[in-house]
Amino acid sequence: MRALAAVAITGLLLAACGGAAPSSPAAPGIVRAVGAENQYANVISQIGGPYVQVADVESNPNTDPHNFEASPAVAQELAAAQLVVMNGLGYDAWAPKMLAASPAKGRMVIDVQTLLGLPDSTPNPHLWYDPSTMPAVAKQVAADLAKLQPGHATYFQANLRRFDAALKPWTDALAAFRARYGGTPVAVTEPVADYMLQAAGCVIATPFSFQAAIMNGTDPSPQDVTLEQNLLEQHRVKVFLYNQQVTDTLTQSLLSLAKRAGIPVVGVYETMPAGYTYQAWMLAEVNALRQAVAAGKSTTHV
Amino acid sequence: MSRLAGLLLAAGFLTSAPVHTALLVGGGAAVISGVVGVFTVIRGQAFAGHALADVSSAGGSLAFLLGVNPILGFLGMAGAAAAGMEAVGVRRLRGRDLATGVVLGAGLALAALFLYLDSTTTSTTGAAITVMFGSMFAIPAATGRLAAVVGGAALAGVALMYRPLLLASVDADLAAAQGVRVGGAGLMYALVLALSVALSAVTVGAILSTALLIGPAATALRLSRRPGQAMLVAAAIGLAATWLGILLAYDSYVWTPGHGWPVSFFIVTLIMAAHLLASRGRA
Repeated sequence: MRALAAVAITGLLLAACGGAAPSSPAAPGIVRAVGAENQYANVISQIGGPYVQVADVESNPNTDPHNFEASPAVAQELAAAQLVVMNGLGYDAWAPKMLAASPAKGRMVIDVQTLLGLPDSTPNPHLWYDPSTMPAVAKQVAADLAKLQPGHATYFQANLRRFDAALKPWTDALAAFRARYGGTPVAVTEPVADYMLQAAGCVIATPFSFQAAIMNGTDPSPQDVTLEQNLLEQHRVKVFLYNQQVTDTLTQSLLSLAKRAGIPVVGVYETMPAGYTYQAWMLAEVNALRQAVAAGKSTTHV
Repeated sequence: MSRLAGLLLAAGFLTSAPVHTALLVGGGAAVISGVVGVFTVIRGQAFAGHALADVSSAGGSLAFLLGVNPILGFLGMAGAAAAGMEAVGVRRLRGRDLATGVVLGAGLALAALFLYLDSTTTSTTGAAITVMFGSMFAIPAATGRLAAVVGGAALAGVALMYRPLLLASVDADLAAAQGVRVGGAGLMYALVLALSVALSAVTVGAILSTALLIGPAATALRLSRRPGQAMLVAAAIGLAATWLGILLAYDSYVWTPGHGWPVSFFIVTLIMAAHLLASRGRA
């Protein structure tokens, strides 16, 4: 029994070491970049192509990025980076601390919150779900890369155009959903996909205080829990979306409630799941939403 | 008038499912903690009882990691710690506070490791708050059913062994002279204590379960010298504090910004207030 536990714990420790970054020195002429979350890292590499070596920090789809604790290896990676993209709004509060601890001349830092001009009081930090976020980030990445590697500026610009075009299937799908199913009431556990749901014209029936409690790991009030349960039991919503990366006992009980009530569920991800590009991931989530509303089909894993 | 009533009893209190579960499980935990707590106070083991609760937090956080019912984790760890304490004879051990303190620290260190692994390897946001301070309004139905079994077992244990348990707790030598198997009674007490701690850990959390165990019992023993009566009083104080605390936490939704304050805070504050009142009354 003890041996079994030891094996289990060792396995977990090994798993905890995942999400690490390539630490080998970059070849000359190659920009070292870090995306604090893997969706930002993905966009950097789509713009930079072979001229950047990108590391991501938060990429484990089985953990809650809000609880991330940065390790010395991450600090080392950030210290060596010439370009860093982070979300801001306290979502990756470790990043500015580590950057301040190892100042470097000429390092470019894109704080998405600052880039979008959002105040610190913005309640929902999941900015990458907003269709207007990544085009702005990609544009800034292309501009910063051009400063670091002026010789490849036209290449970065071409990639930027390609990236913007690749977002079109997603934004088209959002527009089509909005036109056909706008006003659809939905319930959520956390504000993860709220920006996208708003862009799709959905009405989020879950009170924000409930979403904030689950996001912050505090207990939602019984009033809010009852309200959320009633949304499902009384069929007042068409879809129940939950955070795939945060499944506490309350989420579990809501999931089984939705199942009993015959309400389709959609699991959404906070960081990009493996095997996806940013745009393919976003498109998959809209498609899952559409299938839930149109055909009553549940999607728990993308 | 109806406004005042609304302030005292915010809308939906009586029909809310989370409130029902909290009243049942929390009330049961309070009653059992009150009864068992009187034994703990008579035995002079308040600190050991607290340490046991702290050590059980390691079990609770391990349960999150393994994905099993938290009550089983609390129970496993509390049971192991209680049996260990009885085995080394914590009662007669000189400097037992030191030994208890060291074990308490080690238990919390394990909890720190498991909670770290919880948040870095699995998706369990809020595990730390739930394990340490309880999530009374988020008790799943399965845990409620298991809590009923655990509570029933604890009460049955006390009822079966009431006299030998009490005699051995008051004066072990006298009990032995009267033919009570002190060792067996000690083990029984350890088991019942572990059940009680596990039960209150899922309601007010591992750290605060000590308040439910010691507070009402200490107050009751000030009010009544007879153990049986003290147990009834302790159970009543614990139950009243828990139910009133749940009501206040529910009402706090109305007057706090955000979405209410934690129920554990209200319960433990009420237990403290009851103790101060009883102390003043006797002084």
